[in-house]
Amino acid sequence: MKRKGLGFYLRIYVKILAQDIKSKMSYRADFFISTIGMIFTNIAGFITFWILFRSFPSINGWNYYEMLFLYGFSLISLTPVQCLFDNNWSLRSYVYSGDFIKYCFRPINLFFYFQSEVFDIKGLGQLAFGIGTLIFAWVKIGLAFTPLMLLKLIVFLITASLIMIALQNAASATCFWIQNSFYILDLAYRFRDFAKYPVTIFSPVFRFIFTFIVPIAFIAYYPSLVILRPDAVPVLSWLSPAVGVVFFWLSYKFWMYGALKYNGTGS
Amino acid sequence: MRIKLKKYLALTRAGIIESLQYRIAMFVMVIGNLLYLTLVYFLWKSIYASAGTETVNGMTFSDTLIYLVLATALFNFMEMYTVWEIGRSFQSGKIVLDLIKPMKYHSYLFWSYSGSFVVQFFATFLPTFIIVALLTGGAVPIGMNLLWFVLSVVLAVTINFSIDFIVGTVCLYTESIWGINIMKQVIVLLLSGATIPIAFFPEPFKTITMYLPFQSIYNSPLTLLLNGSPEMSDVGLILGTQLAWCVVTLVISRLFWKVSLKRITVNGG
Repeated sequence: MKRKGLGFYLRIYVKILAQDIKSKMSYRADFFISTIGMIFTNIAGFITFWILFRSFPSINGWNYYEMLFLYGFSLISLTPVQCLFDNNWSLRSYVYSGDFIKYCFRPINLFFYFQSEVFDIKGLGQLAFGIGTLIFAWVKIGLAFTPLMLLKLIVFLITASLIMIALQNAASATCFWIQNSFYILDLAYRFRDFAKYPVTIFSPVFRFIFTFIVPIAFIAYYPSLVILRPDAVPVLSWLSPAVGVVFFWLSYKFWMYGALKYNGTGS
Repeated sequence: MRIKLKKYLALTRAGIIESLQYRIAMFVMVIGNLLYLTLVYFLWKSIYASAGTETVNGMTFSDTLIYLVLATALFNFMEMYTVWEIGRSFQSGKIVLDLIKPMKYHSYLFWSYSGSFVVQFFATFLPTFIIVALLTGGAVPIGMNLLWFVLSVVLAVTINFSIDFIVGTVCLYTESIWGINIMKQVIVLLLSGATIPIAFFPEPFKTITMYLPFQSIYNSPLTLLLNGSPEMSDVGLILGTQLAWCVVTLVISRLFWKVSLKRITVNGG
């Protein structure tokens, strides 16, 4: 099979996306309520944050606005997984029912085709919240704003988002072996909660785990340091884009390995 | 009476067997629970370390830890996905089959989950309770408060179930499950004190919360558990409030269901 180029995939992606959005729009009430639900989640997150910092001025040397920066950063970098890879949540039911086989018969990349089928629009609300928070914290801390910093921010945000995508891919792919992967996915999903705190609050053992084994610290903590504490950036921060790419690649391989050994349910 | 109870217990038994089927799920849940415990532990430890004082808002580090960890454990124990179950039954039409069962739909739902209550209690709640009690070195008082706690949890389970049932019935009108469920979950978790102890809430907010039914779900049982030598009047007040909410939510859920049932239309079938 001839390898298809990037332009080809982009064109297909737009086409599939348009279909998905059309079908979602036919359930207007559901779309509307889901969006409100997403806004609720974000507001509750802020209220929690606010109540926490009312009683405590700082955590582990991180003040209110720096924590807010971390929070905003994590919200943005968790958006792509929400918007673009949401179909991972349905993978287990496709595999269980046998419908997954339909993806195997298309002459395009299996992983790409599966993930492109769903675009979760309500994730964009989270993105807006994240950007708002980040700008607010940025101004309050009094950080300088230069094109170079913006470039750094964008590169680090994109690569940081790959970590959560990787975790979710790997978690959902477990259904190729154990059928019901809901609990594992849910567990991976809960790791998001860990992302918005500095990894230094943990003991050395857990710091090691969250840096090298389940690399949650790369979702917000390490990349944020590049912007927040430019005088003392640890090596790990500079490595974070590479970590994102490597973990994403590994999860992709794992996902494909599971998908290619899938042989349907016989019906 | 005996026959009546027997049919419910048959559902409990089926539920236990069903939960035990998913051993990997159970294992993962226990791990997830432990990880969450770890996060809560380190986060609040560093928060208290930064605060510089032993008690904040009248709660020590161990109080806060016990409160939050057991709130999570209670959450895992009480989360029955009722909203999803009801909503999906509406969408798929399965509701018709449930309605012709020889018992009320309320009871059917509740008792089919009762089995997983039993399993969850031993698999997640009890281990968490023991770990926390050991970790905090006997900060959990052992005495009459345990009895009040158990009573309070029973009431909390009922209130939680009724609220879920009301929200689930709303799905009949909206045909949206995810959105409705997430709104309910966010409101309940925040206003019940499951994410942050209610003692930390700023003033007008705190008083309002105390007048809402949600604090009866997590705050009431945990307050009773943490207080080793409470005034009887306090215990009476907390349990009384819970009982009142229990009756109110139960009545609302029944009435709402009765009205809504007339609107059910199942396509094809």
